[in-house]
Amino acid sequence: MGTTDDATDWQRHANRRLATAREFVAETETDALAAGLVGVLGLLGGFVGFLVTSQYTSVAVAAFLAAVGYGWVRHRELTARAVTLAMTVSTSLILVLILAFIVLEALPALRYESGELLGVSVPGLRMFTGTDWNPATNPKRFSMLPMIHGTVLVTIVATLVAGPLGVAAALFLSEIAPPRVREFVKPGVEILAGIPSIVYGFLGFAILGPWVSDQFDLVGQGTYLFVGIVVGLMALPTVVSVAEDAIDSVPESMKSGSLAMGTTDWQTMTAITIPAAFSGVSAAVLLGVGRAIGETMAATVMLRNEPTIAEPLYNVFYGFETLTSVIANKYGSATGLQESALFVAGIVLFVSVLALSIGSQLIEAHMHRKLGGSE
Amino acid sequence: MTGATETGVVRGRASTAKTVAAAAVGLSALLFALALAAGFELLSLTGRLAGVPTIPLLGGLLVTLGAAVIAFGAGSRLELVETDPSRSAGLVAGTLFTGIWFVVTGLVASQTLGLGTVGWLAAASLGGAAAFAVTALPREDVGSTVPAGALAGSVGLVMLTGGIGPDWSWSPAGFSDAQSVTVFPRVVIPIAVAFCALVVGWAAAKAYGGFGARGRHLGAYLLIYLNAGSIIAVLFVLVAFVFAKGIDPVMAGVTVGLGVGPTTTLAVDLVIPFADVRLFGLSYDVVWPVSWPFVMNGASILNDVNGVWPAIVGTIWLVVGAVALAVPLGVGSAIFLTEYAERGRFTQVVEVATNALWSTPSIVFGLFGAAFLLPRFTPTPKKSLLAGMITLGFMLLPLVLITAREAMLSVPDEYRDASAALGVSKWQTVRSVVLPAAMPGVVTGVILGVGRIAGETAPLILTMGGGTFVTVDQAASVVDSFQLTLSPPFVTNPELTQATTALPYQLYQLILANVGQSSGIENMDTFRWGTALVLLVVVLSFYAIGIATRQYFRRKLDYE
Repeated sequence: MGTTDDATDWQRHANRRLATAREFVAETETDALAAGLVGVLGLLGGFVGFLVTSQYTSVAVAAFLAAVGYGWVRHRELTARAVTLAMTVSTSLILVLILAFIVLEALPALRYESGELLGVSVPGLRMFTGTDWNPATNPKRFSMLPMIHGTVLVTIVATLVAGPLGVAAALFLSEIAPPRVREFVKPGVEILAGIPSIVYGFLGFAILGPWVSDQFDLVGQGTYLFVGIVVGLMALPTVVSVAEDAIDSVPESMKSGSLAMGTTDWQTMTAITIPAAFSGVSAAVLLGVGRAIGETMAATVMLRNEPTIAEPLYNVFYGFETLTSVIANKYGSATGLQESALFVAGIVLFVSVLALSIGSQLIEAHMHRKLGGSE
Repeated sequence: MTGATETGVVRGRASTAKTVAAAAVGLSALLFALALAAGFELLSLTGRLAGVPTIPLLGGLLVTLGAAVIAFGAGSRLELVETDPSRSAGLVAGTLFTGIWFVVTGLVASQTLGLGTVGWLAAASLGGAAAFAVTALPREDVGSTVPAGALAGSVGLVMLTGGIGPDWSWSPAGFSDAQSVTVFPRVVIPIAVAFCALVVGWAAAKAYGGFGARGRHLGAYLLIYLNAGSIIAVLFVLVAFVFAKGIDPVMAGVTVGLGVGPTTTLAVDLVIPFADVRLFGLSYDVVWPVSWPFVMNGASILNDVNGVWPAIVGTIWLVVGAVALAVPLGVGSAIFLTEYAERGRFTQVVEVATNALWSTPSIVFGLFGAAFLLPRFTPTPKKSLLAGMITLGFMLLPLVLITAREAMLSVPDEYRDASAALGVSKWQTVRSVVLPAAMPGVVTGVILGVGRIAGETAPLILTMGGGTFVTVDQAASVVDSFQLTLSPPFVTNPELTQATTALPYQLYQLILANVGQSSGIENMDTFRWGTALVLLVVVLSFYAIGIATRQYFRRKLDYE
C-alpha cells in the first residue's frame, strides 16, 4: 500500500513540475527560450570542454556569453534570474567537484592498500590498520595512522587553548566589555586571524622551536605541544566570532528579565545567557576544531616531517607529521602511489572537517529554532 | 546602642579583612608578573632578588599567599568576617579543583614516590576526591579558598624547602632515549608560580567580594579581563616582534630624492592583430623619486640589497585574479539566494554547501587545484599563476557569498516594497536599491577575504610553485603577454600558465632553503624576517582598511 501511495505521490509531484515547466515555456517568448537554450548548452559545453581539455572550450564559453548578452538586451528580468541561478549552482558544484577529484586521484592508493575484512576486500583498509609509512622500498606502505595521530594530538592541544580562551573572550566582547574597550579588542581578535599562517609558522620555527628544544632538552626540533598552542591561537578568532554571534543572539528580554530579579551580571550570564547560547557556543568550538585540523603551514614548518608515531602515544614533546603537513611537504617530490596516498590524506581531512561543519550548522539551526529566532 | 557598636566593630573587622583580601589579589598579581619575568628569562632563578635566592623567595611568597587566603576563608566560616557565601562553591569549581589535584597527586605518587600504575591511579583518585569533597561539600567560603590556598602552599613549600632547587631536573620514566624529555626549574617554576597565582588570585578576588553572587562576579571578571588582556598582548607582541626583526632589512638602502629610483616605461602600442602593423606608439620614461631596494629589487648576486619585488607582483596578480573570479560569482549567488529564490530545500543545500566550503582546509583546495586545474591549462601538468588565481578564487568565493548575503538580508524589506510600489521591476530594484544599500557590507567582506587569501600559502605550494630566489626580470608581466591567435582558444597568455612566486610562498621557500650565497643573499635570516614583515604589512593593511571601512559605514548607515 505504502509503496503505491509513494509512487502516486511522486507521480503527482512530477506532473506538477511538468505543468509548471510547460506553463513557463508557453508564457516565455520564443527568442528568450532559444537564448536560454544556447546559454545552457554553452555553459555545459564549456564545462565538459574544460574537463576533457578541449581547445573549443572558449567557443562554448563565447556562445554562453553571447546568449547572455542577447538576453540582457531583450529580456533583462529573466536573464538576471537565470544568470544568478547559474552562479549559485556552480558555487555549490565546487564542493562536489572537490570531493570527486580528490577521490579520483586517491583511487590508485586506495586500491593498492586494499585489505580483507570479514572476507570482503575493502579498498584502503590497510592504510588504517598498519602503522608504516614507507614509500621508497618494497613492500611500499602508506599508513595514515601516524598522521592521524599527529593531527589528533595537535587538535586536542589547540582545542584546549582555543576553546576556553575563545569562549571567555566572546563573553567578554558581547556581555562584559565597555563599548570603548570592545572597539579596541574586537578588531584585535580579527587581526589575530589576519596574521598569515606562514608568519605564525616562521615565528614558531625560528623562535619557539629552538627555545623549546633547549628548555626541555629535546632531541631535535618540533613538538606537537607547541604546534598545538600556535594552531590554537590561530583557531581562537574563529571560536570568538562564532561564539560571540551565538551569545548575542540570546534575546535581550531573557537577560533583562533575570537582571530585574536583582542578580549580578555574572549570575545572569551563568544562569541565562550561557545555557541559552550553549549549543551555539559548542558549534563555535566545533568550527574552531575544524580550523585546527585543517591548519597547514604552522604544522609544516614546525614539525619534523617524518611520519612516525610518538612513543608513548601521549608524548606531545615530539612532533612528527600531521595530515596537512604531509601533503604540503611531500607533494611535488612524490609520484605515483605516494602522490595518490596524499590525496587519501586529503579525503580524511575533507570528510572530517565537512562533518564538523555540517554538525555545527545543525546545532546552530537547532538553537535558532529553540530561541525562536527571526528566521 | 549596642547594635551601633557592634556594627562599628564588624565594619572595622570587615575593612581589615577586605584589606587582607585586596593585598592577596595584589600579591597574586605581583607573583604572576614575577613568573612571567622568569619565563622570559628577565629574572634569574639561580640569582637573588632583594637579597634572597629567587626560588625560595617565590616559594615563601606562595606560602604567605596560600595562608592568607585560607585564613580569610576560615575567618569567614567562623563568622569573624562578615561575608555572604553561597551554600557551596559549585560544581564547576569542584570539577576544576578535582582535575588539578588529581594531576598533582598523580605526578607526586608516580614520579616522586615511584608507585606503579595502580598505585598512582589510586593516589590520584584519592587526591581528586578529597579536593572535590573540600570544594563542593562545605560552604562556599571554605570550598573556594582551602583547595586554592593548599595548592599554592604546597607548591610554595616544595620551593621553599629546596625540593625544587636550581639544579633540580626530571625526566618522565618510560620515554625512550630518542624521544626523551627533561624538565628543568626554568620551565616548571614560572608555569607553576603563574598557575598558582591565577588560582589564588581568583579565590582572593572572590573573598574580596565577600563570596556569594558578588564574589563570584569579581572572581570571574578578573579571569575574563585577564584573558582578553593577554590575547591583545600576544597580538601586540607578535606584530611588534616581526616589526623589530624585519624593519632593518626592509629599510636598508632607502633613499628619497629626484631621480634616484628605478625607471618605469609607460608605453602605448596600437597594433592591428594578426597583421603585424603598428599603427601608433608612445613611450615615456618615468623615474621614481624613491629608491626602496628591498621592495623594488629581486634577488640577484649583482644587487647591493636583495628584495622581494617579484613576490609582491605575484601576490598582486593572485589577488586580482581571485577577486575577478569570486566577487561576481559570490555576489550573483547572494542576489539569487536573497532576492529570487524562495526559502526551501534548495537554498538550504546551498547554504550548507557554502559554509562547508568556507571551512574546507586550504590544503584540500590545493589538492583540488592540482588535480582539477593543472592538467587542463598546459599539455603537461605544470604549476601556474592562473591555477593559483583560480584556486584562491574558490577559497574567496564562500566568504564573499556569506558576507554579501548577510549584507543583503540586513537591507530592510521596506526599501524593496517602496521600490516595488513604484512599479519598478525586480532586477531594477536589486540594482538600484538593494545593491547600493548592501554595498558597504559586501566591500568589507571582500577586503577582509582578500586579506585572508593574500596570506595563504598551502594551496600555492600545490598549484603555483615558483622559485626560492627570484630575479627582477622573472616578475610576472601579465598585461604585456596576451597573445591573440587565429585558432581556438584565440587568446593565450604564456605568463599566466607559468609558475611564479608570491610573498607567503616565497617565505615558505626561504624557510626551507638553508643557504642563499649563490643568489647573493649573505644573511638568510634577515632576508626571511624582511620578507615576513612585508607580507605582514600587506595582509594587515587589507585588514586595517576592511575594519576601518566597516566602522565608517556602521556609523553612517544604521538601519535599526
